[in-house]
Amino acid sequence: MLVDQYSPFEGKMLQILDKDGNVLDESLVPQIPDEDLVKLMKTMLYTRTADRKALMYQRQGRMLTYAPNEGQEACQVGSAYALAKKDWMAPAFRELGAWLQRGVDLKTIFLYWYGNEMGSKVADDIRILPVSIPISSQCLHAVGLAMAARKRGLDEVSIAYFGDGGTSEGDFHEALNLAGVYKAATVFFCQNNQWSISVPKHFQTASETFAQKAYAYGFKGIKVDGNDILAVYVATKEAVERGRKGEGPTLIEGYTYRLGPHTTSDDPTRYREEQEVDEWREKDPIKRFRIYLERRGLWSDEMEKQFVQEADEEVERAFKEVEQSGNTQFDDIFKYQYEKMTPLLEEQYAEYKAFFQERGML
Amino acid sequence: MPVLNNVQAVNYALMQEMERDPSVVVFGEDAGYEGGVFRATVDLQEKFGVERCFDTPISESGIVGAAVGMAINGLKPVVELQFCGFTYPAFNQIISHVSRMRNRSRGRFTLPMVIRFPSGGGIRALEHHSESPEVLFAHIPGLKIVMPSTPYDTKGLLTAAIRDPDPVIFMEPKRIYRAFKQEVPEEDYVIEIGKANVVKEGEDLTIVTWGAMVKDTLKAVEEANKKGIFPEVIDLRTIAPLDREAIIQSVKKTGRILVVQEAVKSFGVASEIIALVNEKAFLHLEAPPARVAAPDIIVPLPRGEQYYMPNPDMIYEKILEVVNFLT
Amino acid sequence: MIQEFKFPDIGEGIHEGKLLKWHMEVGDTIQAGDTIAEVETDKVNAELPSPYSGKVIALLAEEGGIIYVGQVLIKVDTGEVGKSQDQTVEPVAEENAGVVGALEASSEVIPASAEGRKQEAAIPPKRKVLATPVARKMAYDLGVDLRNVTGTGPGGRVMKADIAAAAEKTTAGDSEASKPEQKHETKLEAASKDRNQIERVPLSMIRKTIAKKMVQSKHTAPHATAMDEVDVTELVKFRETAKGHFDEDIHLTFMPFIMKAIVLALKKNPKINSSLDDETEEILLKKYYHLGIAVDTEEGLTVPVVRNVDQKSIVRLAKELNDLGQRARNRKLTIDELKESTFSITNYGAVGSIFGVPVINYPEVAIMGIGKISKKPVVIEDELVIRHMLPLSMSFDHRVVDGGDAGRFMNDVKKYLSDPYRLLLL
Repeated sequence: MLVDQYSPFEGKMLQILDKDGNVLDESLVPQIPDEDLVKLMKTMLYTRTADRKALMYQRQGRMLTYAPNEGQEACQVGSAYALAKKDWMAPAFRELGAWLQRGVDLKTIFLYWYGNEMGSKVADDIRILPVSIPISSQCLHAVGLAMAARKRGLDEVSIAYFGDGGTSEGDFHEALNLAGVYKAATVFFCQNNQWSISVPKHFQTASETFAQKAYAYGFKGIKVDGNDILAVYVATKEAVERGRKGEGPTLIEGYTYRLGPHTTSDDPTRYREEQEVDEWREKDPIKRFRIYLERRGLWSDEMEKQFVQEADEEVERAFKEVEQSGNTQFDDIFKYQYEKMTPLLEEQYAEYKAFFQERGML
Repeated sequence: MPVLNNVQAVNYALMQEMERDPSVVVFGEDAGYEGGVFRATVDLQEKFGVERCFDTPISESGIVGAAVGMAINGLKPVVELQFCGFTYPAFNQIISHVSRMRNRSRGRFTLPMVIRFPSGGGIRALEHHSESPEVLFAHIPGLKIVMPSTPYDTKGLLTAAIRDPDPVIFMEPKRIYRAFKQEVPEEDYVIEIGKANVVKEGEDLTIVTWGAMVKDTLKAVEEANKKGIFPEVIDLRTIAPLDREAIIQSVKKTGRILVVQEAVKSFGVASEIIALVNEKAFLHLEAPPARVAAPDIIVPLPRGEQYYMPNPDMIYEKILEVVNFLT
Repeated sequence: MIQEFKFPDIGEGIHEGKLLKWHMEVGDTIQAGDTIAEVETDKVNAELPSPYSGKVIALLAEEGGIIYVGQVLIKVDTGEVGKSQDQTVEPVAEENAGVVGALEASSEVIPASAEGRKQEAAIPPKRKVLATPVARKMAYDLGVDLRNVTGTGPGGRVMKADIAAAAEKTTAGDSEASKPEQKHETKLEAASKDRNQIERVPLSMIRKTIAKKMVQSKHTAPHATAMDEVDVTELVKFRETAKGHFDEDIHLTFMPFIMKAIVLALKKNPKINSSLDDETEEILLKKYYHLGIAVDTEEGLTVPVVRNVDQKSIVRLAKELNDLGQRARNRKLTIDELKESTFSITNYGAVGSIFGVPVINYPEVAIMGIGKISKKPVVIEDELVIRHMLPLSMSFDHRVVDGGDAGRFMNDVKKYLSDPYRLLLL
């Protein structure tokens, strides 16, 4: 098993494609249909397009605070590709590629970042919990989802996403501990993007790797090149399969880099060197996958140009729709507090509604 | 009909609901094999197996956070936190997720779950075992907070809490866990969450209270009755959503209000009730609204606790004060 | 000393257990800490250690039997005399402030829930009044029972104007509006802890009248009071001398002189001898001088009237005062003798008081309070001398009389009283 072959204690990191798209070990290359390989490429490109445009919309004053993903597309798309439809995903807030990979409508995602809770109401057949902002708190939900599945006799697996900083939270510990104790079918996916806002890795932990932390909880961890979509996929695939077979949780550290700011309100030039960013740009996940696909004759500049243009238009269309109809309906802010409004809420609802109606705001 | 004390009534309700609904799971620290430090979950593991009633690591946030995931994935978790003072590590989960999941997901994900724990003081325990934190929960939109005062109510309310489509904080006044017994019907019944109970009708003033203080209030009222004073006593049963109608109706009848709470006086449930009365029954008030509560201090350790806990004598004195206020 | 060891609550909130095995026998000598017995409860199985050292003199439970928290299990003779220092140990063991505390445990069965059963008929609601706190305060101050006031505000709310109207009606003689309900009184009184120390005394007619008139006066006329002292040394001398000139049956007090002085001053200050017509907003200056003299009787205060004081001699006034006073105390006065006073005097000096704030005998506009004459050190021409001083306190209706008016009137009264010759010659 990869988790055994790539022990974090031996300083190993699973990598299939190097930064220039060369295959390092042919035996590790997963059997992915060509059609899917192209789709993965398109999803990464679509993610990047949407991400860049979201940043632009924010800078144009059209979008609210947004958490960019650039540089982490392989971690997100590759891991999500390893999940079955029945599997559960408990995201943090920087997983645009995973959302898109699982089939969530971009309009819904934008609606969330536009400031409307309706953006968290994903389609009923997509198993993604809403964005979870309190760091690592969602890890426990993933454990609960997997525990419930097992108690109900279902072979569903859950995946929790969090960052390098998220491993410092108590809930990370409690989640891994519980998962270890109950052998929960949970994949803990740490996107180690090197920075928690302005704080570098060595202020988050004295551990050599994040992956090794799993061993303290009685299960296995693996560090993968998070900018190599093939490595991310195979590691996640193995973890998911092990979970499904009842072999318990796995911790995956996706070694990657956040090329952009933490959020649109962050200025990373204050705390990190441009040179570091440039180095990581060289390791870009899309770049190396493009070369790999081109060599396999599955991708070309022309295809990319055409797809990016289409994506651009589609993103634009989605965002415009959000802009046109994305404001929160007054009723909605009262409607979902409880299954049924309490008498108190009914009264307040009427009172506030009348106030805004009188002023022509409703 | 079984005659049970309050903690036995908790057990009885859990037993019946686990029997009735296979999606109900019960877990917490010592809640499995041992049946809980207060024996509220005793025999459940033996009867329903370790998959449905189990022990957890000492991990309050973990217990509640995992319950969130389970509730989303088709179970009805009824978790036990060992003491009121140990609920705080779980606050992030409770405030950030338990109360919000329905709203955040616009109804896509709901959390039919119950968080049970023993609450309140008067059992000569260690620090962190005696507080009455109901208002901390009541201040959070999206939660329901229930606190029974009798074995009959305990079963009816806990059953209702388990069946409720929204998360319910079920606070058990541990001081009266074994203080008295009552007939508890074997048949299925629920007590509606959000409805208060007029435990004693009267006309001279309205006393609103809940949990263990109901018993102390009734003691004081008995004394007052001897003096020809007949207070109406309302047992809230549910702290949130508050049965505002019951309180307002009663105050309109009596013109006077006294709220008895075990928690510290300021910024509490009593404050909210009095604000409500002022908003809704202002013109009916014949005396200033009054409170009997603990002083605004940290709960003393057992050798000083008697100075902290509101008692029947205090309630009695306050009844006289309110009734004697001339208008 | 014999110590008892009671079965403590060793779980949190257990109330019974089973005695599995004794670890000692009667007659054994034991040390504190030795195991007394093994017990089983629904929470724990445990050995109970003895808090006492001494000789076991009784084992009070059967092996295999049920024991209850608080039940005495063994008795130990500690061999000590008197109050044992171990005594404090026992409650500690019994209270068991253990890991998670000790619950009160009891087998008391409380009544079954009445949930869902037919409720007993509710107590019919009392008539409740809608009013703001400020209105309630106003009603309380005016002696108006809100339950008898019809509210004209929104939803029947009693407005301040309603209370004012009710108060006015009361003063106009309609006692209905302020008649408190018997039930209310009972409740308030019953609520008092000193209930047995209260005796109920029904109001006499006189008392009711006084109460009503006092309230009316205080609520209608804004009272102000002026106080002063008069040097009456000359008057005292004069009265001493004059006493010998009268028949024996005449009791000559200072009152006729004071009345005379007041009437003279009233003539000079006509506003003080008046009343106010609220409706026409006119002051009625009265050209007759009927003085009401407050008389303290067993039944309460009564104010007979000496008519046309200006036309009567000191002797005549003395006689009338004697006569009226006596008949007042015997309740022989006629209604006519209590009417139409234009100014009143109250002599609380008779009971030793110095100053007071008298309540105006409404609708008059002023009343003179007479204090006790006493010898006082006074400075005259830079010398300290002893003089007889009469304290005066005059309350006046500030709607009609101003401070200046009152002061001038007071000065005139002083002038006459300090110079009895002037008083008698005018």
